[in-house]
Amino acid sequence: MDAINRVAVLGCGTMGCGIAQVCALAGHDVVILEVNKERAAAGFEQLAGSMNAAVDRGRCSIAMRDDMLNRLHPTISVDDLSESDLVIEAVVENLEVKKEILRAVANVVSPEAIVTTNTSALSVTRLAAIMPNPQRFAGLHFFNPATAMKLVEVVRALQTEESVITALISFVQRVGKVAVEVGDSPGFIVNRLLLPYLNDVIQAFDEGLASAADIDTALELGLGYRVGPLSLLDLIGLDVHEHATRNAYDATLDQAFAPPPLLTRMVSAGRLGNKTGVGFRTQKEEA
Amino acid sequence: MSEPSFTVGIIGAGTMGSGITTVMVRSGHRTVLRDTNAECLVTGGHNVARFLDKSVSIGKMSSAEARRAKDNLVLSAQDADLSECDVVVEAIHEDLKAKQELFRHLSDVCKPETLFHTNTSTLSVTAIAAGASNPERVVGTHYCNPAPLMKLVEVVRGQLTSDDTYSRTIGFIASLDKKSVTTKDVPGFIVNRFLIPFENNCIRSLESGVGTVESIDLAVRHGLRHPMGPFTLLDIVGLDVHRAVSLSLYEQLRDPRFAPPPLVERMVAAGQLGRKVGQGFYNYDQAGLIGT
Repeated sequence: MDAINRVAVLGCGTMGCGIAQVCALAGHDVVILEVNKERAAAGFEQLAGSMNAAVDRGRCSIAMRDDMLNRLHPTISVDDLSESDLVIEAVVENLEVKKEILRAVANVVSPEAIVTTNTSALSVTRLAAIMPNPQRFAGLHFFNPATAMKLVEVVRALQTEESVITALISFVQRVGKVAVEVGDSPGFIVNRLLLPYLNDVIQAFDEGLASAADIDTALELGLGYRVGPLSLLDLIGLDVHEHATRNAYDATLDQAFAPPPLLTRMVSAGRLGNKTGVGFRTQKEEA
Repeated sequence: MSEPSFTVGIIGAGTMGSGITTVMVRSGHRTVLRDTNAECLVTGGHNVARFLDKSVSIGKMSSAEARRAKDNLVLSAQDADLSECDVVVEAIHEDLKAKQELFRHLSDVCKPETLFHTNTSTLSVTAIAAGASNPERVVGTHYCNPAPLMKLVEVVRGQLTSDDTYSRTIGFIASLDKKSVTTKDVPGFIVNRFLIPFENNCIRSLESGVGTVESIDLAVRHGLRHPMGPFTLLDIVGLDVHRAVSLSLYEQLRDPRFAPPPLVERMVAAGQLGRKVGQGFYNYDQAGLIGT
């Protein structure tokens, strides 16, 4: 029996906050672990702000907000995770950083606890290998923004046991998301399909196929995509895409994942998309 | 104030030809629908009328508007009826020789200023234009299926398309309440250029066991927010059609991403062509989804 009640989220950046919010809204108590008080407070502020905005828009009652915020427990002490049934790691995409925090968590949680990573770029199997109970380790890949995106990829590492996958799928469904089970291959399903497509668009744009605006319009109107690929890249952040696709390329040596030269140039020039105000579509000269 | 009105010729009364004809008559353009096959011509005319009637019944159009649109339509088996056309849209089967011959012939029949539009989706506009005695008048206008419902038209400039032909074409497409995008004459233009490798990648992911038909469809719908999953879409398009488009692009580009994956070849060989036969990536028998 793998009842998941108490959840812990490691890191309260964009993904960590979103995941904590999803879990708390579904009624789980969520411990949020950060490295220092300032970051923990900032994360809590961000979550409170997001809930206040929901109240302002009439999408959430004040009682619901307070109820939800009461379930969030920011901490800087890993010992506070000792009672957790499920740990979701959402720290920076850096193998060494993830290893260090996961080792610390492994020392305090029960051997029966399920520990997961929200990585999109690293091998889940490789992270499982450093755990004392690798069979209790899996990937739990949420999408950004976690509150809005329905999908969660449940990633089976080579070591993951069946009951963990079953428990995670039912957990994902209980927090109102759609679970798909995937093997631990680079990019899982979504990024395996998305990254080559985005790279292909960047390369074709660089070769002068059409204007950035016309490429987006064609795919929005022709295929019913909500956001055209170049707007999507601006939204994701060109540096984030470059990092993800370079990781997938390193893991597979598959040409389809190789960062196109224009992408690398734009990242070098600090044109990272919406967050810097200049990207494929956000600069007048480019559009 | 009414929009400027054109006289338009549509060659080929198949799915695309009749769909484009519907767009034209609805926009107030007198339209000559031409097909050498009399039976096909009648069917095409019926399809236009049926679409307009349906638009009335679902409240998208008044019956007076539908009547005016129908009055704009002329079914023709004679080339002479094309002589007054300002724009001729070619929507015959995807055969380079046939399209080249058609435009060569039309150069003799039509006015010197007539715009020649090809609705090809996989052939080179430049190569098609090369068959016309005045290739500068030929431009690609690629409508999406179903043409009356889809907003997009890809305008494709061939190597020899003149600026005048291009700019008059952009003005004409605007009169149809469509959104045009301009693309170079490269295989697949924009939409198929990106859709076909994406779909083939989905099929290869299925082949290699990364996911199932259901999990990949779910992941694409909810993780990428596409309106439908790739296998649902492929079943609607038809595996035979997907194979033909992929192969045509592959032969032009020699890029393996466009090559139909082995699973597609097997499914086509086995007659698992998708919805139209009740079996593709999904089975439509039990669901009772087979329709005409």
